[in-house]
Amino acid sequence: MEGWDPNTKSTLTKIPLLTTKAGPRDGAVWTQRLKEEYKSLIAYTGMNKSNDNDWFRISAANPEGTRWTGKCWYVHNLLKYEFDLQFDIPVTYPATAPELELPELDGKTHKMYRGGKICLTVHFKPLWAKNCPRFGIAHALCLGLAPWLAAEVPILVDSGMIKHKDDKAAATAS
Amino acid sequence: MDAELVELQRQFELAQEAKSSVRLSERNVVELVQKLHDLQIIDYDLLHTVSGKEYITPDQLRLEMMMEIDKSGRVSLIELADVVGVDLYHIEKQAQCIVVDGSGLMLIQGEIIAQSYWDNVAEEINDRLQESSQIALAELAAQLNVGSELLTAALEPRLGRIVKGRLEGGQLYTPAYVARVTAMVRGATRAITVPMNLSLVWSSLQQQLQENNGANSVAVEGSFFQSLFNGLVKEGEILGSIRTGVHWTPAVFAHAQRESVDSFFSQNTYIAYEALHKLGIPQPKQYLQSRYPEGVPLDTVFIHPSMIDMLDSATEDAIERGHWIDSLSVLPALFGTQDASKLLSLCPSVQRSSSDALILGESCVLSNAFVKAVALFTQPGPSGNSNITSKTKVTDDSDSFTEVGTDDSFSKPSFEKGSKRKKGKAAGTKTLESGPAEIENLPAKGKKNQRKSKETSSVQLSNTKSGAKKDPDKIKEDDLIISEECIMKKITTLVADFEDQGGLDDPHSLVAALASHLRPMLLTSWKEKRKALLVENADKMKRLLNNLQKKLDEAFLNMQLYEKALDLFEDDPSTSLTLHRHLLRTTGSYIVDMILVTLDMHNKLKNGVGVEDSKTIEDTTLSAADRMSLAKSLPGSLSVKAISVVEALDAKQVETFMTALRNLADESGLLLKKLDKKLEKSLLHSYRKELASQVSAEMDAVAVLPKVVSLIYLQVYNKALQAPGRAISSAVARLKDKLEDSAHKVLSDYHTATVSLLALQAAAPDDVSIQAAME
Repeated sequence: MEGWDPNTKSTLTKIPLLTTKAGPRDGAVWTQRLKEEYKSLIAYTGMNKSNDNDWFRISAANPEGTRWTGKCWYVHNLLKYEFDLQFDIPVTYPATAPELELPELDGKTHKMYRGGKICLTVHFKPLWAKNCPRFGIAHALCLGLAPWLAAEVPILVDSGMIKHKDDKAAATAS
Repeated sequence: MDAELVELQRQFELAQEAKSSVRLSERNVVELVQKLHDLQIIDYDLLHTVSGKEYITPDQLRLEMMMEIDKSGRVSLIELADVVGVDLYHIEKQAQCIVVDGSGLMLIQGEIIAQSYWDNVAEEINDRLQESSQIALAELAAQLNVGSELLTAALEPRLGRIVKGRLEGGQLYTPAYVARVTAMVRGATRAITVPMNLSLVWSSLQQQLQENNGANSVAVEGSFFQSLFNGLVKEGEILGSIRTGVHWTPAVFAHAQRESVDSFFSQNTYIAYEALHKLGIPQPKQYLQSRYPEGVPLDTVFIHPSMIDMLDSATEDAIERGHWIDSLSVLPALFGTQDASKLLSLCPSVQRSSSDALILGESCVLSNAFVKAVALFTQPGPSGNSNITSKTKVTDDSDSFTEVGTDDSFSKPSFEKGSKRKKGKAAGTKTLESGPAEIENLPAKGKKNQRKSKETSSVQLSNTKSGAKKDPDKIKEDDLIISEECIMKKITTLVADFEDQGGLDDPHSLVAALASHLRPMLLTSWKEKRKALLVENADKMKRLLNNLQKKLDEAFLNMQLYEKALDLFEDDPSTSLTLHRHLLRTTGSYIVDMILVTLDMHNKLKNGVGVEDSKTIEDTTLSAADRMSLAKSLPGSLSVKAISVVEALDAKQVETFMTALRNLADESGLLLKKLDKKLEKSLLHSYRKELASQVSAEMDAVAVLPKVVSLIYLQVYNKALQAPGRAISSAVARLKDKLEDSAHKVLSDYHTATVSLLALQAAAPDDVSIQAAME
């Protein structure tokens, strides 16, 4: 678990673990799994909110719950940078972690695959594999996207690759 | 689609929609507060706690501090800082505000103390005090951890209210205790009747208290006693006066003191300062002067003016009667000489008659008439003598004369010296018994000594005996000066009571003073006298010498005559010796005596001493010792010659005597006539005539014999023989050749008859037969 900052770690341990090992093609068991995912997400969101650390909104884009869309944001220099977030639950889920995509930032940073999929740290995959099936979407967000945002957004802002929406608006207006 | 899932979806939605709680970082909050401050929204000082995590307003701080203070009544600021959690600086600042605002609060040595606290403490103290009856403040202060001054200040307003007791010298006492100690002090001080140092009293009281209370009692301080005592004095419970805080003089004592001084002074009209000292009056002079302004302070005594009157009348009397008075004899024994002289100076009579009176020896007043009389009496010479002899022993006086004639003149001065020294000593340590005896001795000695020294002065000129120098009397005499000592002696002889009264230290003080006063006067008069005497004596001397010469001529011729007769017996040594001795003893000694006595008198006259009875001397016969002493008393070389003559007299040779006699005569300026034929013849003739008349006149056969013999010698040898009885027989035998047998026979028969008669003197002498034989 080394490689993550203590905050992340403590938060991670507080997120409820999942028990059902089922993928999207497993029918009822998947449903069961999906319920656990929700419970986990609810707990994580509640935790974030109580810590004044709310940083994403997601919802299932299809009834099966294999595709998820939403938004995520990061505050840098008192400015809130907000990005679209989308990902699919892979068929081999939960053995394979979902690939989180930030389509807005596609082509703006090295730490990203084509299509806006973020590059996770080397530590993520072994950890995920070790904790299968106990980790779920909430864990993936916590361990994957949150550190990535914290690391990348300041660089992107400083390098001018991304601009705050107010600035964009001002720029367009002018 | 599972309902449960939908529900979860909805719940998730809700969870995401729920407003997240706002959380500010500390930094944000600090910034925010700063912002508010900048914007003047918070317009008062904000303080923060020591941890830095909290803001606190001064009002709140004050409130919290007040709460803390109210809890115990006494809080130290440091404690407050800890409890409230605010920096000490702010606490102190607020504490000052609180103390200024809050009634009954005080800030002392970093502590805030409320009046209520003191009330509590006072009650506590009271409880303890009632238990133990006394507590030391210092002890309390140490227990309460406050300064004793502070405690005192806090306790004082509560003393009678909450604390039932009394604060004295750092000690708290209960009234009962105070009452008890007060009683002790009162008792002790009332018992004191003499002046005393109070601290001594206090220390003894302290000891007593300690003994009574045992070991646990606290030492009561002297100041406590003192304050109690002062209170008592103020209330009039004890009477007296206190000086320099500690010297207590009870009124009883002061009263007694005054009484005794009053009574003594009024009874005796004087009082000695020493007596006042004994009574404990430190400065008697001032004391007396303030008490008796009319009195007169002297050096050692204080007197009433009546004393002066008394002395005045006495001195006046003395002056008028031409007498003298020693003021010390009139005054009480306490008076010293200085007092007396001071007193005398105050006497009006003395002041008035300063010309008529003489103050000597500080205390004695002598009227001038008296002084004159004394001066008259003490003058040397016949007038003084005649006056004084009435007092001197007659025997003594006559003794002195015989001594002059006969005594060994060397032994005399030394004896005098010895006696004088003894006398001096006796005078120094004069006792009652020895006093009068000395006085009696004194005049005779004085006289004698004086005269004696004059007699011997010429001897002593040559005689360098050191003893003579020691005797001031004699040395002075040599210099023709009258010593004070001898004047003193005369005065004491004259006025015997001088000796009795003499000063304590020196019996001769007055006499000495008088003597020194008189001396110059006496000296001149004495010198005059002496001169007159010398003139008178010169006359006498001439007569004396003439007389001597006349007698000497006669005697010496006889001597020579007899001497010639001695030649007849040259061949008979034994008879010659007897004859020599006989001649020396009779005629020789007569001549020597005459010369010596006359020379002695001449000597005296030369020195100006009156010798009245010069006639009497002629008949005196001197012993060998007398001769020697006289010879020695003669001046200078004369003495040597005289001594040799005296010695020759004792020898058996007429010749040596004759030479010595001639020497003496030469020395003394006398003439010795040589025997010439004509003179011899006439002398022999007259001698024969005399002898013949004597023989015819003489009835006693025995007495006639030597005369007959010498008559026959005169006829036969034409020489005058002086033969003693023993030499008669040899003289008769010598005549044998010269006379006819019958005549010689008769003579020898006469001689034998005389011898037998002398032998049978006791038996009835046959006068008739002897008479016949003689015929």
